[in-house]
Amino acid sequence: MITMTGPAGIALLALILFPVVYAIVLSTVEWTPAQGFGEFTGFSNLQRMVEDAQFWDSLRITLTLYVSLLVCQTCIGLYLGQLLDRQIRARQFVQAFLLLPSMIAPVAISLLWLLLYNPQFGLANYLLNLVGLSGLPWLGDPSTVLMSIAIVDIWQWSPFMGLLMFAGMRALPKEPFEAAIMDGASPRQTFFRVTLPLLKPIIFVAILIRSVDLLRFFDTIYVLTQGGPLDASLTLNIYAYRRGFQYFDMSYAATLMLTLLLLVIVIAGLITFLRRRYADAA
Amino acid sequence: MTVRPWWQTAACVAAAGMTLAACGGNGDSAADSGVADGEYEPSGTISLLAQKHPWTAAIEPYIPEFEEETGITVEVQTFAEEQARDRHLTQLQSGSTDFDVFMSLKSREGQMYADAGFYEPLDPWLEDTEATPDDWDRDDFKQAPWEGEAFNGEQLGLPIIVEGPVVFYRKDLFEEHGIERPKSQDELIDAAAAIEDATQDSVTGVTIRGLAPALPYTFGPFFHGTGLEWLDDDGAPNFDEPEAVEAIERYVALARDHGPEGVLNYSFTQSSQLFAQGHAGMSVESSNEISSVIDPEDSTVAEDVGVMPTPPGPGGQHPTVLQWGISMSPYSENQDAAWEFMKWATSPEMQLQLAMDGIASPRASTWESEEFQETLDRPALTEWAEALDVIQTDGHPEVAPPGENQPEIRQIIGDGVGQVIAGNMDAAEAAQQIQSELETVLG
Repeated sequence: MITMTGPAGIALLALILFPVVYAIVLSTVEWTPAQGFGEFTGFSNLQRMVEDAQFWDSLRITLTLYVSLLVCQTCIGLYLGQLLDRQIRARQFVQAFLLLPSMIAPVAISLLWLLLYNPQFGLANYLLNLVGLSGLPWLGDPSTVLMSIAIVDIWQWSPFMGLLMFAGMRALPKEPFEAAIMDGASPRQTFFRVTLPLLKPIIFVAILIRSVDLLRFFDTIYVLTQGGPLDASLTLNIYAYRRGFQYFDMSYAATLMLTLLLLVIVIAGLITFLRRRYADAA
Repeated sequence: MTVRPWWQTAACVAAAGMTLAACGGNGDSAADSGVADGEYEPSGTISLLAQKHPWTAAIEPYIPEFEEETGITVEVQTFAEEQARDRHLTQLQSGSTDFDVFMSLKSREGQMYADAGFYEPLDPWLEDTEATPDDWDRDDFKQAPWEGEAFNGEQLGLPIIVEGPVVFYRKDLFEEHGIERPKSQDELIDAAAAIEDATQDSVTGVTIRGLAPALPYTFGPFFHGTGLEWLDDDGAPNFDEPEAVEAIERYVALARDHGPEGVLNYSFTQSSQLFAQGHAGMSVESSNEISSVIDPEDSTVAEDVGVMPTPPGPGGQHPTVLQWGISMSPYSENQDAAWEFMKWATSPEMQLQLAMDGIASPRASTWESEEFQETLDRPALTEWAEALDVIQTDGHPEVAPPGENQPEIRQIIGDGVGQVIAGNMDAAEAAQQIQSELETVLG
């Protein structure tokens, strides 16, 4: 038995336990570039974090992006899944096409959107002007930056959600749908009363996958704004990066990242709990 | 030559973010230099960790000549500026022998790295006549960049390029609309307004940095232009002086009232692009940007570019001046070969060669050279050289208040001025905020 699980256990220890323990140790000591680990400081970093207005701001930004993106992507995903589930022509082609955005590296996509969003030469403002609207500053203004980042992520990940939903819909039993038609249910009624309840398990899985990604949101924002302008898109992850790698404030960065890790664990746990409670029973 | 794309590094950093596992303990200094043993034996392979920078692009084509001459192989690792910085910090912290020579911006990380022992002191090589023959001529370096590479009484780097903010402007627009070349910072604001009036707002008056961490570099001339220093005699920040509020107001008048939309994201890339596409009448940017605005392949206004120093404020003309340098890793296992490369890259001959490719030299002899003068065959280049002369003569070497934590100090100033640009605060409130935050960071 041990010979079977041994290597996996060691890999698990090395890959997961070691970095986490390392980060915990790092967060409780003083760290300087010259000496590395220094004096034990206990929970002083935690206290500092609680008193740090920037931390609360970045937590708020992280959660705002998380909730709004998750809701949008799930709804759009459900809609796309519905469309695919109908008999449409060239479905395989459409499927492959939908997979594309999620296959491209976020950095490449971000660079592309950086061009589209350029207030002076970008396509986005050109199109707005074309229909008679005035252009937006997009990434250049604190009031529009989160929306602009959200659009990029929705564009990239909604199709993927659509494919997940579609796969789930294909696996559903046919009988309830036939019964619904026999009972004269409208397509709308069928969707809300039959499809959605049956689809719950797959929706929970999709939400779980996106949750972990969205809470750790980094690459897109790093390329698009690096947290700016005026820290309006400074998520917890970007803030920790800035503290650690730009301000050489590694211990505090470790504290921030552990907080993020805790947040991911709590939310993932909550989703799993809800799934067991509401989806598995169905 | 192994060049890892910067996004891979970004991805690694993102992954490492959870764990920060790259920050291991320190090794001891790897090798005693050959010079210290009394033998100078440069050979083998060295690795240069470089930023994506005009200097890197200019010197790379000449490296094969060095390799042929000396038999030393040079591997160049090039990264975008931030990624290169992440890399040398993590590698030096872990005592890695991954690179031997690295580009470093002393005005930013210099003090911190010097205190951490991340730069090998170069004095043993400089003092050894075999390692450094007289014709290398160390006295030829201008004082400001040479001393900018020294910390705690030791020479820790060699300067490779000097730069400072200048004003690029559209001569054709100025002539066509009868706009005078500004002689003061207030006239600079007037000129920006005049350009917008004359072109019915189809051309942005001026483009200037709004991106928080990059802003102090171009804000400095306005701050020092009031006659203020960053810190007073007691080492406390000077943002509580009324002149600081005036400096912010002047800067914001340019950036907000006559600057481009989305200016809060503007640094050199955005400004030069906007200016080179003919959408801005003036650009307050680094002298390094000369090539991107006068190269006809990149610029639609290449023939119409004029260059002037940032004009004086009421308290005089004090443009920011800084130098980039190359330093030796204390963990290099091939320090003699590293020195041989550093010496070659900064030699009078090489600096002259690079200067003719548009790299502003820290050596006096380059600027006096007739060969170099002859390459200034366009009015823009002549003006550029004149502006750099002003920068090197009157320039202020501090991009931001001196302190170990430069990135945070700069972010504080950039955020404060940015709040005024965004209309969230007035200049007095911003100055007050900057003052109190700087007091905390500077201790």
